[in-house]
Amino acid sequence: MKTLSIATNEIKQSLSNKRTLVFLLAFPICLMLILGLALSNAFNSSIKIEDFRVLYLVKGNTEVEQAFQSFIKEVKKNGVQFTRTNDEIDAKKAVKENKYVGLVEVTDQGIQLYENNANAIKGSLLKGMLKTFADKVNLATTVAKTDPGKVQDVLADSGQNNYVQETSINSYKEPHAMDYYAVAMTNLAAFFGMMSAVYLIRGERQRKTDIRLSAAPISKMEILSGKVLGGILTNVLCMLIIVLVSKWVFKASWGDHLAVVFLVLLSEVILAVSLGVGISYMIKTDNTVNAITMVFVQVAAFFGGSYFPIDDVDSFGGIFTRLSPLYWANNAINKVIYLNDMTPAVHTMMWNLGIAVLFLLISVISMRRREGL
Amino acid sequence: MKVLEMQNVTKKFGDFVAVDNVTLSVDEGEIFGFLGPNGAGKSTSINMIAGLLRLNEGKIKILGKDISKSNQFAKKNIGIVPQDIAIYEELTAFENVKFFAGLYGLRGEALNERVEEALEFVGLSDKAKSHPKDFSGGMKRRLNIACAIAHRPKLIILDEPTVGIDPQSRNYILQSVRKLNEMGCTIIYTSHYMEEVEEVCTRIAIIDHGKIIAEGTKAQLKSIITNTKDVWVGVTSCREVDPDELKDIAGVQEVQINWEDNVIKINSAIDVNNLNKIIRYFINHNIEIRSLEEKAPNLETVFLTLTGRNLRDK
Repeated sequence: MKTLSIATNEIKQSLSNKRTLVFLLAFPICLMLILGLALSNAFNSSIKIEDFRVLYLVKGNTEVEQAFQSFIKEVKKNGVQFTRTNDEIDAKKAVKENKYVGLVEVTDQGIQLYENNANAIKGSLLKGMLKTFADKVNLATTVAKTDPGKVQDVLADSGQNNYVQETSINSYKEPHAMDYYAVAMTNLAAFFGMMSAVYLIRGERQRKTDIRLSAAPISKMEILSGKVLGGILTNVLCMLIIVLVSKWVFKASWGDHLAVVFLVLLSEVILAVSLGVGISYMIKTDNTVNAITMVFVQVAAFFGGSYFPIDDVDSFGGIFTRLSPLYWANNAINKVIYLNDMTPAVHTMMWNLGIAVLFLLISVISMRRREGL
Repeated sequence: MKVLEMQNVTKKFGDFVAVDNVTLSVDEGEIFGFLGPNGAGKSTSINMIAGLLRLNEGKIKILGKDISKSNQFAKKNIGIVPQDIAIYEELTAFENVKFFAGLYGLRGEALNERVEEALEFVGLSDKAKSHPKDFSGGMKRRLNIACAIAHRPKLIILDEPTVGIDPQSRNYILQSVRKLNEMGCTIIYTSHYMEEVEEVCTRIAIIDHGKIIAEGTKAQLKSIITNTKDVWVGVTSCREVDPDELKDIAGVQEVQINWEDNVIKINSAIDVNNLNKIIRYFINHNIEIRSLEEKAPNLETVFLTLTGRNLRDK
């Protein structure tokens, strides 16, 4: 009961504090609006493919060549330009220099592709087209063994000649800028809880109310529990307001699994509050605590995809990305919303809660050791 | 009944001994003054009594129970008014008192009644819904007291409750202290202001360098340093004054005449009330009195004599 009194008091105080409201509510909502509108073009999912040129080389008198010529004619309709070459070395050099998307070698043994990895999207498209063509040739070969008369029918089947076809899973669910920043800013707001959590106990010491709390017939654990609970509930409340504003005012998509999304966000808040309380016990001076939390939150936000989407997690900067709790949460929630994939959400919650427990333990041990709070 | 007993209490911070083997007791109904300069060990002692600091040695009992064994019992019976104003600026006066009183187990209507009672006691009923950020220093000090008394503690510790406030608020607080005492509370009062302690306290302990150097009633403390008092009489002319005749008055030990200023200093035993006789001497000899002042040693003198420094020296 006393724990609840302390938690309620914490919520009242926080919500009466304009600084808290600006930090936890106004700032994320404004940033969401600004970034969501300003970067809306950067999130356009359609990509225009231009200058799609491919070299091909025919080795020997291959039976596949005739079918391959038909294939070339078909894909030309989609803007893919095949050019014949006889010099394999020069051709590979041209591909290497990124003048062509790839070199296709048509032999009796089948089709081989030499491509330049620098052009990943065009390379993938070319591979897809060649695979469709190879499947068709394989089918014709199989038919030839049983009914040679039907081979031409198979190769001429126009229904199979749509080598370039728009195929995507739930493409309508790809995030637009506002969708992305709704998730990113809500996560960031949840993580901002760390900065206010630093002052859950430290603030009591600063305003000397720690004396009254310590003098009251209430245990240190009850005080810590109440403060942490109050901090978590305040942040959850702000987080929910941000979600509702983004959903109803900015029309951002939160998917069909709101409960899972909420649990991830809740674990993020618990992590942030626990980190804040833990750090406040680990570091003595106010200035150092402020500097460390500010830098930590901003680095985590920058590498965690709060200000722009992070795709490349394999580069050097990717180390920081993979270590950012904001990346875990952003990635997990986006996968829940757009791929219905719950696995990253579960992993994120486990990590968040695990680290939270660790930092709370540090706080409890430090609190017990010191006199007063 | 002893409300507080400190037995050989020692508190160290590293190598620094803040409180050194202190033994004292406070009886029920007393207003006990704790006097000492900054860093003397007053606040450390108070913090140990309130359960905020652990003892290195010794024992503290509240209402006969050892606080190390009955911590919750002790805390329930103590109300502490910290030296610094310890309130939440974001909450109203009512919410502040309600929150702290709630920590002592009060709930519902009883809690609200106690909060109203405490605010009324400190004269802040009409400010119950106001935020302390709009209060004067004196009002904040009064709210600081209200937060400590709503749960009706038997022992109230006031640590420098009048620092930095106007005389009106100071008088209000001193009256409140007396009123709380009349209502049955035992008070421990610390202050830098000697005159406050002298005015309200029934018994006083002087602490310096962590040790109790003197303890007793005001008269007992004053008698430690001297057993005489001085009466200074200013007259129009000293020519008619006979020191030997003055010495014949009961209790008078020494007479000194300042011819230049026409002032006679008459030194008497502190326990003899001979002022009327002295005045009558001057009237009988038609010597016109211009001024009259009795100078008994005060606590400041006692403190200065015992510690070698003024109370407000840093």
